[in-house]
Amino acid sequence: MDSTGGAAATGRRAVDLGDTEMLEPGTALLIGSETSGHPDDIGLFRTENGDYFALDDECPHEVASLSEGWIEGEEIECPLHSSRFGLRDGKVLCLPATSDARTHRVEVANGRVLLYPGTPA
Amino acid sequence: MSIESILIVGGGLAGFTVAQNLRARGYAGSLQIIDPAGIPYDRPPLSKGYLLGDKDAAAIELAPASWFAEHRIGLVPATVRALALEPLGVELEDGAVLQADRLVLATGGSARPLPIPGGELDSVLVLRDRQDADRLRASIAPGTRLAIVGAGLIGAEVASSALALGAEVTLIDPVETPLVPAVGPELARRLHAMHAGAGITVIHGTPAGITRTGTGHRIELADGRVIECDEVLVGIGITPNTALAEAAGLQTDNGVLVDENQRTSRPGVYAVGDMARTRRPDGTLARRGEHWEHAMNTGATAAAAILAQEPPVHGASWFWSDRHGTHVEGVGDMNADGTTILRIHDGEPVAAFRVAADGTMLGAAALDGGLTIKAARRIIDRGIIVPAEALADPGVPLRKLAR
Repeated sequence: MDSTGGAAATGRRAVDLGDTEMLEPGTALLIGSETSGHPDDIGLFRTENGDYFALDDECPHEVASLSEGWIEGEEIECPLHSSRFGLRDGKVLCLPATSDARTHRVEVANGRVLLYPGTPA
Repeated sequence: MSIESILIVGGGLAGFTVAQNLRARGYAGSLQIIDPAGIPYDRPPLSKGYLLGDKDAAAIELAPASWFAEHRIGLVPATVRALALEPLGVELEDGAVLQADRLVLATGGSARPLPIPGGELDSVLVLRDRQDADRLRASIAPGTRLAIVGAGLIGAEVASSALALGAEVTLIDPVETPLVPAVGPELARRLHAMHAGAGITVIHGTPAGITRTGTGHRIELADGRVIECDEVLVGIGITPNTALAEAAGLQTDNGVLVDENQRTSRPGVYAVGDMARTRRPDGTLARRGEHWEHAMNTGATAAAAILAQEPPVHGASWFWSDRHGTHVEGVGDMNADGTTILRIHDGEPVAAFRVAADGTMLGAAALDGGLTIKAARRIIDRGIIVPAEALADPGVPLRKLAR
């Protein structure tokens, strides 16, 4: 599960995911390693305000995909047991999860959504 | 008078949440949780991941030891013998007395024993705390014949886990279809049928007595049927641990009575979680909440009340259960006055919505429903009226209707 090695290997390389309308506001997308080059799945989230964020996709609590969760403001609620995480910083906001979700940097530049797998937001 | 010391009796989710919220709300005084179990841990995994061995004791801690040190929350690994009211405090089993400006009771519940001959046998297993789970786990090996009395949430989850551990499981309940009050009859039937489908022997019957045999147990049912097994687990609910409160003269009635801010009948003493029962402003008593979220919510409310801060607003009650690879969720009240609208997928009900005559949603339950219940929760809390056709249509994501 530890992807420290992966983060070092991917460094600050950006992956161009698509144009800025690639996700509808309030939705999320699972970015697999075949796209990101990162060993772990990454969840890409777009808030209702249109901002993009990325976290490790697997909930730190149990096996669940955060990209299948509920986006509310700048929080993601896990689809399984409803732990909430801050999209901006990955901070766990309520039980039953007890640890933070790892963030990945996302930039919107020149109309493109760029993901930096392994680089903290 | 400012509050300088707070004692929390009981370190389950409710007690832990009080401590966590007190610090998050800025309380800087002395804060201690008294519980013989030491570091507070989460109980839902005891019938699932912890029982299966997927999670160890450290993995179910609600926070690591370092967190309690950082937040200056003392963990007192002791049993409380009595509460003291003048001045406020507790007496521990070794005779030591701890005093505090505020006292929070979070003593939870105990597994309800079967009120039949043999129900009191030490060899009859229950599942309430981590020690119970360890004992249960040690009792199950491949081929162990495990009889479970009670097919509610605990019984159903243990049945599923024990099956995965290789046990031969018999699940007994006097109710033909358990969990109807929680999820409605349609989903309850489907859930209960999963047990037999997975290879569990499901028996509709009422145990009348349990006896020890040479190597195991014999359960006799009221209708004369006999079940021979190695181990027996009883999961028929809890009784609230109110003895300390009763001995101290606090008002109780199947729970320590509290107001909507978790205040007991004694000033300065609060009660939270499974053992607290709310008396509404009109004097009527609410049903005692026993779910995980209720423990957390009442803890959060008590913390705010102790500090005289604005209490948090909690929405419709929510619960989950996991068995046989199916995730069950429910929100609100499936028994409320109204009608049920079903969502059918491939001929099977996947979600049920309880709707009032005016179209207001009162309750919802779903099996592997994804975001259905998260949406339903918001629909209920916000009073959104959703057309019945949309609720019944599995092609309409409920999420769209909750925005």
